[in-house]
Amino acid sequence: MIRHECLELLAARMSDQLVITSQSGQRIEWSHLSKHEGNLLVGMMGCAIGVATGLALALPHRKVIVLDSDGSVLLSLFNLATLGNLRPKNLVVYVFDNGVYSGSRISYPTATAGNTDLTAMARAAGIANAHTIREIEDFKKKGIAALGQNELAFFVCKVEESLLHREIPRPNTDLAENKYTFVRYLERTEEKTVPFVGRG
Amino acid sequence: MKDELAKRLVQGLKDAGINFVTYLPETRLSQIVPLIRDDPEMELIAAASEQEAVTIAVGATLGGKQAAVYMENTGIYVSSYSLLVTGKQLGVPILLVVGYLGGVPDQRNSFLYATIGKHTIPVLEGLGIEYMLLNDGDGLEGKIKDAMRAANAQRAPYALLFAGEFSI
Repeated sequence: MIRHECLELLAARMSDQLVITSQSGQRIEWSHLSKHEGNLLVGMMGCAIGVATGLALALPHRKVIVLDSDGSVLLSLFNLATLGNLRPKNLVVYVFDNGVYSGSRISYPTATAGNTDLTAMARAAGIANAHTIREIEDFKKKGIAALGQNELAFFVCKVEESLLHREIPRPNTDLAENKYTFVRYLERTEEKTVPFVGRG
Repeated sequence: MKDELAKRLVQGLKDAGINFVTYLPETRLSQIVPLIRDDPEMELIAAASEQEAVTIAVGATLGGKQAAVYMENTGIYVSSYSLLVTGKQLGVPILLVVGYLGGVPDQRNSFLYATIGKHTIPVLEGLGIEYMLLNDGDGLEGKIKDAMRAANAQRAPYALLFAGEFSI
């Protein structure tokens, strides 16, 4: 299974969901596939699940999606315990697990290339609806179906290492520009003011 | 901290617009946790790490909440990465409510805390995070409002360091 084909399937189903990515290949691929105003491309590893959790709690009627990587989740394993207890029903996490730090350019293996099983860790942390997906047909059935369900879902998508993200254009949207586009989109679609934006 | 001071601190947070608090408990200010938990106008979220407490607060702020993170000052060290890449780099205002252990005004200071306290302000300054030191309840509510206003204006985290009477 290739990450890009999973993202293509997700991109075709986006309407008013909020999509939070961490920094790695999926951030580049997603920004190339989707120009939606509800995308927030967090610029570093290990922060996307936390930011998405805060959004999911603040906007419980809104579906929030995380596109994350094995390296990023390994950097923030405490998120699993918090998600396992909060269980926000409107949050879906996709971890694209290729078993390497591909952004390092030396593709050094992550712990999931060895003995570590993120799905088992998520379940043990209290995320009952955690699954490993290895085939694209399974992603279509389970992964995509979760978008229409009202339950925290955590998918570890076992993907082949792909270097496609090194070939496609990197996003040129400044982080602050992305933030304001995202917040203005929320203000418009939620019909409320986000307080910190303020008035000049 | 006397119960009355804890009540004023929580009311001060509410008056400043705070309606969402993430936290890891510590000793100095811990009386505020049940007060926030029992307040129907505030949402209290337990985190497993201060790094995560910061990112959840950042997400909630982007979603329209006014968020604070309650932590010990050791949490500043733990969360410095997420403070930098989500709070500062992305530019999201959150209020840090910090039990300031090991500083000179800490009334329970000891060899356990002194090293922790010594480096807190240099680390905040290194991160470019503004802060205010509070040792007593004089003007407490106004100071919290000032801090939240500064955070919003700068689109950045702002730290309130509680010691002195707050550390009794």
